[in-house]
Amino acid sequence: MDPIEKRELKRKAWMRLAAQRRRAGLLRGRVVVISLICFAVLWGAVFAQMITGNDPVLSAKQATAAKRTVASAKREIETTEPRELEPKRGRRGERADGDSAESRGEAEAEELAAVEAEEVAALEAEEVAAVEAAEAEAVEVEEPLVTSQS
Amino acid sequence: MSEAAATFPCFGGICSVRVSGGGERYAAAGAVADAKRLLLLAHRTLSRFDPRSELSRLNRDPRREVPASPLLRRLVAGALSAGMRSGGLVDATLVDEIEAAGYAESRDFDGALRVAPALPSHPAHPSVRSAWCELAVDERAGTVSRPPGLRIDPGGIAKGLLADEVAARLTDFPAFAVDCCGDLRVGGTEARPRTVLVDDPLGGAPLHELRIAAGAVATSGVTRRTWIDAEGRVAHQILDPSSGRPAHTGVIQATAVAPTGLLAETLAKSALLVGPERAASQLPFGGVIVAESGAVVVCESLAPLAAAGLVA
Repeated sequence: MDPIEKRELKRKAWMRLAAQRRRAGLLRGRVVVISLICFAVLWGAVFAQMITGNDPVLSAKQATAAKRTVASAKREIETTEPRELEPKRGRRGERADGDSAESRGEAEAEELAAVEAEEVAALEAEEVAAVEAAEAEAVEVEEPLVTSQS
Repeated sequence: MSEAAATFPCFGGICSVRVSGGGERYAAAGAVADAKRLLLLAHRTLSRFDPRSELSRLNRDPRREVPASPLLRRLVAGALSAGMRSGGLVDATLVDEIEAAGYAESRDFDGALRVAPALPSHPAHPSVRSAWCELAVDERAGTVSRPPGLRIDPGGIAKGLLADEVAARLTDFPAFAVDCCGDLRVGGTEARPRTVLVDDPLGGAPLHELRIAAGAVATSGVTRRTWIDAEGRVAHQILDPSSGRPAHTGVIQATAVAPTGLLAETLAKSALLVGPERAASQLPFGGVIVAESGAVVVCESLAPLAAAGLVA
C-alpha cells in the first residue's frame, strides 16, 4: 500500500477513535449534569416543603429568613451573564475578521512576495561569504556533539 | 582531520552543520552553506511568531483547504505522524494552550534552570479533542487541510524534521552532523562514529556519552526553556494535552535515539510525557531518562538500531 494512503487510513482511524472519545466524554458529562440536577431538584423539593411550614422544626422567623436568601440567590443568578455566551461571541467576531482579512490578502501576498524576493537575492549574495565562513569555522572531527533540550 | 562547519542562531536557539568532504573541502563548505540557507529559510517559513511566515498565514487562513509549500506540507505530515506514533501525546495543535501558558510570542529565555517545586506529578494523557488527527495533506493538490481556526505549533517537530531534511542532502558526503537546537542527526558514507554528550538538565557535567555512526538523537525537557507565568508558577513548553497545562510527570528530561530526527523528537517527548514508570517503553532504540528525583536511567536497548548498522 502507498505510504500516503496508509497514513490517510491511519488518520481516519484516529479520527474515529477521537470521535468515540469525544462521545464518551459527552455522555459522561451528561450523566454527571443530570445526576446533579436530579440531586438539586430533590433537595430543593425537600427544602421547599420545609420552608412552607410543613416541617414542624422550622419556626416562622427562620422560614422568612430562608425565603429572603433564596430570593437574593435568584436575583444573583438572573443578573449573572452566562459565561458560555462569550466564546460564541468571540467566534462570530473571528469570522468577521476572516472576511476582512481575505480582502487584504492579495495586497499582503504581493508585498510578501516582494520581501521574499529581496531576501532570496540577499541570501544568494551571501552564499559565497557563507562558503568561506564554513571553511573558516572548520572544527575537528573528534569534537563531540551535545544533545540538549530543544 | 577537520570538517567544514557553520554555527548560527535559528529556531530560537543555535543550529550547527558540520560536513566532512574528504578531498573536496570546497564542496563540503558549499554544502554547509546550502544547509545553513535551508535552515534559515525553514525558520522564516515555519515560525509561529512571525506574522509574515507561511505557517502564520496558514494559521490565520479562514479556508479549510489551503495551498502550502512542500516544506509546510512535510511539517503537517510530520505533525500527523508524531501524533499517531505517540498516541496523541505529541500534539502540534495546542497553540491556544501554549499561549495561555504564557508563550504567545518569541521570548528570550533567561537561561535559568527551574524545576517546578514539589508539584504532584502524574502521567500526561492525549486530549479528548485530538484535533491533530484532523490535519491532512494532499500531495497531489499541494494543499493542507484542517478545520478553520485550528492552529499549528511546529515546536520540536520542525527541528527534528529539518535535521532530517538537511541530512537527506548530505548523505553522499563521507561524514556529516546536523544540530538543530539540540536535535542531532549524524551520518555519511564512511559511517564514522561520533560522540554525543547528553546534557544535564540541572546544569552539571554531561550525564552520558553515546556513540552513533548514523541516526538521530533528540532531547526533550522541562528545565531549560522555562518562565514564570502570570500566577507566579514555573511554566514550560511541554504541555499535557489532556489539561492543556505544562506537564509535571516526574520526568524532567528524556533523550531518545532513533533512525530519524522526527522520530527521535517524538519518542523523547512521549517518554517525558508518559512519566517515569513507562518512559523506557517509549525508547525502543535507546536513550536516557532523568527523573525529578535526579535518578538517571540509561536505556541500552540499542539492538534494533545496531542491527540496522546505525549505531557503532
